[in-house]
Amino acid sequence: MQKTFYLLIILLAITSCTKEVKIDIPGFEEQLVIDGSIETDFPPVVLLSRSKDIYSPTNIDAFLASFVSGATVKVGDGATEVVLEEICTDNLPQGSEAIAAELFGIPVAELANYHLCAYTTFDASMWGQVGKTYYLTVTFEGKSYTSSTTIMPATTFDNLYWKPDGTLTDYGYSWARLSDTPNQYDSYKWEVKRINVGIDGQPLDASYTKTYSPVFDDDFFDGLTFDFFYENPMVWDDPTVPDEYKGYYQLGDSVVIKLSKMDRDVFNFFEKKYVQMTTGGNPFATPTNIPTNIVGGALGVWAGFSTSYDTLYCVP
Amino acid sequence: MHEVFSVVRIFTPNKFDFIQMRYTLLALFSLYFLTFSFAQKKSTLSGTITDAESGEAIINAKIYIPAIRQGAVTNTYGFYSLTVESGKHTIEFRSGGMETVVKEFDLTADVIFNIEMSSEIKSIDEVTISAKKGENVNSARIGQIDLDVEKIKTLPAFMGEVDIIKAIQLLPGVSSVSEGGQGFYVRGGGPDQNLVLLDEGVVYNAAHLFGFFSVFNVDAIKSVTLIKGGMPANYGGRMSSVLEVHMNEGNNKKFKIKGGLGVISSRLTIEGPLKKDKGSFIVSARRTYIDVIMKAAIPETSPFSGSSYYFYDLNLKLNYKLTEKDRIYLSGYYGKDVFTYGNKTDAFSVDMPWGNGIAALRWNHLFSNKLFMNVTSTFSDYQFKFGSEQDEFRFALKSQITDIGAKVDFTYFPSTRHKLKWGAEYIYHTFNPTSVSAASQDIVFDTGEAQKLYSHESAVYVLDEFDLNEKIKLNAGLRYSMYQHVGPFKRYIKGDISNPDSVVNYSKGDLIKFYSGLEPRVSGRWLLSETSSIKAGYSYNYQYVHLTSLSAVSLPTDIWYPSTDKAKPQKGWQGSLGYFHNFKDDKYETSVEVYYKGMKNLIEYKEGALPGDNVNDNTDNILVFGTGQAYGIEFFVKKAYGKLTGWIGYTLAKTERKFPDLNTGNVFPAKYDRRHDLSIVAGYKLNERWTFGAAFIYATGNTLTLPTSWYVQEQSLLFNYGARNSTRMAPYHRLDLSATLYDKSYKVKQDELTGEPIKVKKRFRSNWSFSVYNVYNRANPFFMYVDSNGDFLNGDFKISVKQVSLFPIIPSVTWNFEF
Repeated sequence: MQKTFYLLIILLAITSCTKEVKIDIPGFEEQLVIDGSIETDFPPVVLLSRSKDIYSPTNIDAFLASFVSGATVKVGDGATEVVLEEICTDNLPQGSEAIAAELFGIPVAELANYHLCAYTTFDASMWGQVGKTYYLTVTFEGKSYTSSTTIMPATTFDNLYWKPDGTLTDYGYSWARLSDTPNQYDSYKWEVKRINVGIDGQPLDASYTKTYSPVFDDDFFDGLTFDFFYENPMVWDDPTVPDEYKGYYQLGDSVVIKLSKMDRDVFNFFEKKYVQMTTGGNPFATPTNIPTNIVGGALGVWAGFSTSYDTLYCVP
Repeated sequence: MHEVFSVVRIFTPNKFDFIQMRYTLLALFSLYFLTFSFAQKKSTLSGTITDAESGEAIINAKIYIPAIRQGAVTNTYGFYSLTVESGKHTIEFRSGGMETVVKEFDLTADVIFNIEMSSEIKSIDEVTISAKKGENVNSARIGQIDLDVEKIKTLPAFMGEVDIIKAIQLLPGVSSVSEGGQGFYVRGGGPDQNLVLLDEGVVYNAAHLFGFFSVFNVDAIKSVTLIKGGMPANYGGRMSSVLEVHMNEGNNKKFKIKGGLGVISSRLTIEGPLKKDKGSFIVSARRTYIDVIMKAAIPETSPFSGSSYYFYDLNLKLNYKLTEKDRIYLSGYYGKDVFTYGNKTDAFSVDMPWGNGIAALRWNHLFSNKLFMNVTSTFSDYQFKFGSEQDEFRFALKSQITDIGAKVDFTYFPSTRHKLKWGAEYIYHTFNPTSVSAASQDIVFDTGEAQKLYSHESAVYVLDEFDLNEKIKLNAGLRYSMYQHVGPFKRYIKGDISNPDSVVNYSKGDLIKFYSGLEPRVSGRWLLSETSSIKAGYSYNYQYVHLTSLSAVSLPTDIWYPSTDKAKPQKGWQGSLGYFHNFKDDKYETSVEVYYKGMKNLIEYKEGALPGDNVNDNTDNILVFGTGQAYGIEFFVKKAYGKLTGWIGYTLAKTERKFPDLNTGNVFPAKYDRRHDLSIVAGYKLNERWTFGAAFIYATGNTLTLPTSWYVQEQSLLFNYGARNSTRMAPYHRLDLSATLYDKSYKVKQDELTGEPIKVKKRFRSNWSFSVYNVYNRANPFFMYVDSNGDFLNGDFKISVKQVSLFPIIPSVTWNFEF
């Protein structure tokens, strides 16, 4: 449907023009942003930042200044509670560089150049376990923010396969067969990375990337076994890939697919997040604010994920 | 006791009193008898007025007796009835563009007089005086405007397509939703609050091409009337306005063909007699060829190769005079937009058709020369479909409304000062707001049952238009409307943590909800002088169907939804007051009107709602309900006749909404709230061959909701939106020009007898219509959005507000012909 509306916009926009304007947008109010997650067998990680006025500076200094430190962040599982430690990119514990690089989207070599902080714990008793509900409390500048999330049981694929698309021979989408558990709410997130080695001797992708619309729930297919496909999100911005092959995996690619499950509130956040990201600015869509599962007036999400991994080899 | 007797004594008649009373009673009886006798000496002149050339009924022709300053007008079917004192009368028959007929009648009994009026023959220096001369001041109706279709044809046309909805958007109190859009808003009401009727069939979607063109093919249209306030009681079901469009009936004297070749579309109309002077037909068709242009313009290597769009529509009308007192009409409209996408190298394909089908069968019967009846049965259908395929994955979406209805209207003309109308109507609605199906290979996904909603809507009404005295004229009416939502229906009740979701099943015919209400309507005119009057109007309306829209522009995906146990009917009232003054023998018509409109049970989607996902749910579970108000003042100056004609309309207005579940319960401006709206329209007839037109519009920018702040989550840039509709776009203004070059209406031949050159009227006529849209190439805002690009780490990250403008200067040319 989205693709169609973009086609419609193209139709209407044949004679249109776009220009930058400056108009008054009233109503800005700074809010704390909580970006927290806890995955199966991984520690909780929480980033804190401030929302910024739409016309505020967007240089690197302003971006770095939006992150906040000095908050008290606690995570509990109903039985025990731990206070998370504040760890910064310029002072990382040995062995955590790769995780920090993925978390902040900064190359490992450049991490030390920035002072970006996250809250986490090395107490393995508070690392994610399936079936547990985790409670988050953030106290900052005299205000308290709370949330909870549950790590749902994981689901694995029945099968993964690749096939050429249409009349093509070497390019196609990734396909999967999934058996949804009947009579229970299930929601999924799909992330991928290619592990086949490139000409530089390194895997093609260093970290996982989400697809165009990576979350879905079982409203349509509760208890069904069915096949579906996803595109390759890594090549959209790759200038070496011709336009006609964008979105496809190439014959010979090896792709790790990370399938995560989440609770309903977390799904609501991510569903609206991707709706906003795909429809932002579209006159045919309504402005979408993203519903948070955090109580107290902050933006963001506290998300628990159970994960399963499988590898797809792109051969017919 | 004494006092009582005294009182009795005082009132006990003495002999003189008795005689006096006897004479008084005699005088009264005489007067009554005289009045009665006088009443007996009234005669009725009635009949139909038709066009001598085509045989078409003439609507709103005026029958006027200057001596007593009374008259009547023809109804939609050309019928009139005029009851006056018996005796000699000089009666004028007038209609715009027609030769006025003046005839002496010696009315000693009822007379049926059918008249054929001929087109006016005049030199360029003469002026056309409309039949509606003085109507601006004299009519009891407030807020009603009749548009002249021939004049609309000379207005500048967007891409060469003459468009009646764009023409009404130039009137005060009426605004368009966006650049080129067909959605129109009347006095702060929503686009669903306009009752759009084509030959009495309801048009649910009056637009082609996502709102850029109207469904009305102007070659098939005979009359256009907009009622934006003081809605008479015979109309109902919508809160804001009535746009009544009547199709041509077809020439019942000879066959004619007319058409036009334009930049993006062409049209052809064929009309002629079924039986001369008895019945006629008209068939009119139109199709765009954007698809052909696109195919040529988009290279096969483009990812958008394979995109195709076109629309077509077909109008058909038949009429036949069964007897002198009976006539039947069959009208039909069928139009469709089709968008497809199918690229040879792409396994993804789309097929998206949508459109209306409307049919109306009408029977006119004349019970007497004072009592006219019209019975109508209507069928109206609107469908939107979307289908897509990607390899073995298939998805389809459908939305549909089907109405089957009937109505009967009686009009009684007891005297020239009195017109009584009453009737009843009924509509059976079937709504399928959204049904979705999806499948992958042979696995069919559970997308829930297609939810159909059934309802009965009915109404009875009575209205009386009468002259209280020489100065005061009233149009008072009462309408009683009823609505029943009936089964089969599944009500999904959304639970919470302590109460699980539940379902209530209703069987076929079960009454789920009943609504009804009285709708008083009154409007009146107080004549201050021959050239000025004050008018006022009040109307209360119920509306049982709603349009739900996610977007800032009108789209075929907007969903019509009926009232249910949860979605209550919209209801509202409007009061208006106006001062009307004509100058220089009605050459200049002016008016000032103020209005206030209050609205309840308006609907919107919940914040963040995603319609379409109706699995185990009802659409109204994601709707929220609120109130609205609109008020404003409208100024109108019109030059009605002369070589230069046109008008200036200005509206100062405000429109607000309040929903407890939106915008944290705070009042917010409607998305089409416009403080200022100015339109200047001019037509100039230079000579027999050249006519020029111009239209200028200035309007306050529309409101919209933009993000007030940004934040980052998982390295994604996200936005937080501020108060609803709190941002206002730049003002909209535009100038359009047109020129029409007519061929010579005659050719010169030699008279066979005298050898003298004579002028002979040409059978084949044609004209070239040139238009320039947006003459000074103003980049008007269509919509705005917040854009971001670049990378923080690279130092080139930027957030900016972008404005998209649609149409630059667009010249167009159309060649029209008829023979």
